[in-house]
Amino acid sequence: MNKIAKLFVTFISAITLALVSFSSSFAKVEGEYIVLGSAISLTGKYSSNGVHTQNGYNMAVERINKMGGVEVQGKKYKFEIIYYDDESNPKRAAQLAERLIKQDGVHYMLGPYSSGLTKAIAPVTEKYKIPMVEANGASRSLFTKGYKYLFAVLSPANQYLEVAIDLAVEKNGGKGVKIAQAFEQDAFSQDVRLGILDAAKRTGSEIIIDDKLPKELNDMAATLAKVKATKPDVLVVSGHTKGALTAIRQISEMKVDVPMLAMTHCDAAKLSKQHGKKSEFALCASQWHKNLSYKDKFFGSGKKYAKDFQKEFGYDPPYQSAESSAALLVFKDAFERANSFDRDAVRDALVDTEMQTFYGNIKFGPGGQNVAKPMILFQVRCKGDDCENRVVAPTKWASDKFYHPIPKWSDRS
Amino acid sequence: MSKIKQKDLILYSGLIILGLAAPYLFSAFKVQLTYLCVLIVLAMTWNLQGGEMGYNTFGNILFYGLGMYLTASVQVGMFFPLAEWTESGGEKTFVHTTAQYFQGIGVGLLVSAVIPAIVAGAIGYAILGLRGHYFAICTLGLGIAAGEIAGGIEIIGAGQGFTTPPFPAEIVDTEARGKFFYFLSFALLISTFVFVKYIYGSRFKLILNAIRDNEDKAEAMGIQTMKYKITGWMCSAFFCGLAGGIMGGLIGYIDSTDVAFDGREMGVFMVLMAILGGKGTLWGPVIGATLFHFFKEGLWTLILGWQYVALGVLIVVIVIYFPEGLMGWLREKYPERFGEVIDEKDRKAQVELK
Repeated sequence: MNKIAKLFVTFISAITLALVSFSSSFAKVEGEYIVLGSAISLTGKYSSNGVHTQNGYNMAVERINKMGGVEVQGKKYKFEIIYYDDESNPKRAAQLAERLIKQDGVHYMLGPYSSGLTKAIAPVTEKYKIPMVEANGASRSLFTKGYKYLFAVLSPANQYLEVAIDLAVEKNGGKGVKIAQAFEQDAFSQDVRLGILDAAKRTGSEIIIDDKLPKELNDMAATLAKVKATKPDVLVVSGHTKGALTAIRQISEMKVDVPMLAMTHCDAAKLSKQHGKKSEFALCASQWHKNLSYKDKFFGSGKKYAKDFQKEFGYDPPYQSAESSAALLVFKDAFERANSFDRDAVRDALVDTEMQTFYGNIKFGPGGQNVAKPMILFQVRCKGDDCENRVVAPTKWASDKFYHPIPKWSDRS
Repeated sequence: MSKIKQKDLILYSGLIILGLAAPYLFSAFKVQLTYLCVLIVLAMTWNLQGGEMGYNTFGNILFYGLGMYLTASVQVGMFFPLAEWTESGGEKTFVHTTAQYFQGIGVGLLVSAVIPAIVAGAIGYAILGLRGHYFAICTLGLGIAAGEIAGGIEIIGAGQGFTTPPFPAEIVDTEARGKFFYFLSFALLISTFVFVKYIYGSRFKLILNAIRDNEDKAEAMGIQTMKYKITGWMCSAFFCGLAGGIMGGLIGYIDSTDVAFDGREMGVFMVLMAILGGKGTLWGPVIGATLFHFFKEGLWTLILGWQYVALGVLIVVIVIYFPEGLMGWLREKYPERFGEVIDEKDRKAQVELK
């Protein structure tokens, strides 16, 4: 045992030395850089949306830095972000948040992708009193925990598809409708479900199918078979990008006829590109659409943002990217109004945020959610093989009329 | 129990002092150190089952997740209505006082140790009759099934997840939470180690080994193997549940499949760490878990996007070059340091024969 013990002790002391030399943490503001931290899903089930988020952040950092950066106490600073991959895993995300704050010395955080991961990180940022502006955690439960350092630029998840139920009821002559719904078992989708339950109660609608979908979602044939048999008026599906893709793929394969199909994450899934005409008439909830007429001085209008984004990354920006870019605009604004790097001063400035960005108006409610921006609905419409998303609700922004009901598959070419 | 040798005494007291001083020496790394303690505990408990008894289980994640949910549920349920806490649409905010928080977590941890042990007993009674691959495959299903079931139970948050009570706000020191969970996990590590060490000096370990080496023979010798197999698994589940309970409080958010019944990560890691260090040895899982954790924390972020590929390569390397783990490899290279006497003549004769 003796030699082994010695070996072990040597090993431990080597590690000790290594750790001590790494312990020196960085400052929150290094030279001319304001360092932000973020755990992002670059791998795992949220990887595609994680990348949309990261691209959104990077786009805004580059733009703000190029246009003069952030001015605090007369000095110009630039943004810099430290990223870690949270592997779409809440446990890892919480650990990385801790690491960003304690080891990398980050004093300001940007949110991760998805409600579940935000829920895992929020207790950590709250504990260390680190202001976090997040753009991708919409679950309502995030805003009822009394968090003081959490700010979300997006509308809460329960609002996503409520409007769709209202639309269906309206088309049904004000009478309640029969709803079939299937939701992924995660914080976000379950919150969308709660929104639908509320809407159903309010409108006297009946929920005839209420299914849960697994997290690694690639099959929902069982739900669709039931839909075929029971003929509901509306089918609601929410399961992030994979949910949207799976739903369209199987609905078209199984030729499921349903008068109205409401979903989330259609634009992140690039539905109109990937499935083309098969995805036509799908109704999608979105936080943002490029045709909305909001403006700011960094990105100009939504259309200009979309064009620049396309040039930079080679695809049309989904709302996940737009809201992520907006998060940095919020931070910049807060730093300048606080005119200090004191965390609490920045936090107080965030509370008072009231601004317009290309993404929409931003004003935080008492729980930290954005209360100034409505959700929108768009519908996938095709001309020949060319499909795109057209805004149909609310009427203020609508560019097209809502097409209802969806024609039967036998009538679709 | 054999008397502790002086050299061992120095080693142990050194390690304990290091463990106690660690959160002050490496203040920024407290959370990683807590993870390390929990990982070592998981590796050791797995080793008890997979290494000593030879029943390779993928199901220990069940006890870990169970412990996590139980601790959090008890901690909340003792003082507030659990259903309202987990209901995401709820507008009410409940806050634990300092006393409630610690009482809750104390009772919660107790429950999280006892119930998984009972569950292990019940499940063990049903499936420990299976051997070899059949047992491994059967346990593989346990964690997955538990994750899906937990994802459907509304009172523990279902797919929404369960936010565990935040650390009491009255304690202003931001380091307190980290220290609390570190010392909690360190205490668990020590008690697990002492327990396993005690088992190593007992007849119980020999029986487990007998079961591993030849179960039929063991039975023929009059050992009631089933009884010992179940007891072994219950011991394993006891500490596994505690580890889960601590982790739940530390992470602050429990998700059914990604945090609690996380068979894809924790469930695989605990097996990997035990094998890396050398299964069936006292120190193997400890060394394996430590190395693995440092590898993971150090290299993971340098190879973003490729970390799981690297992990795969690591598994392949371990299995090919260190099938017996690091301890097994060392033992083969330096048998005399493990107290094995080698007859030089005999060894040479064998080499010549080859």
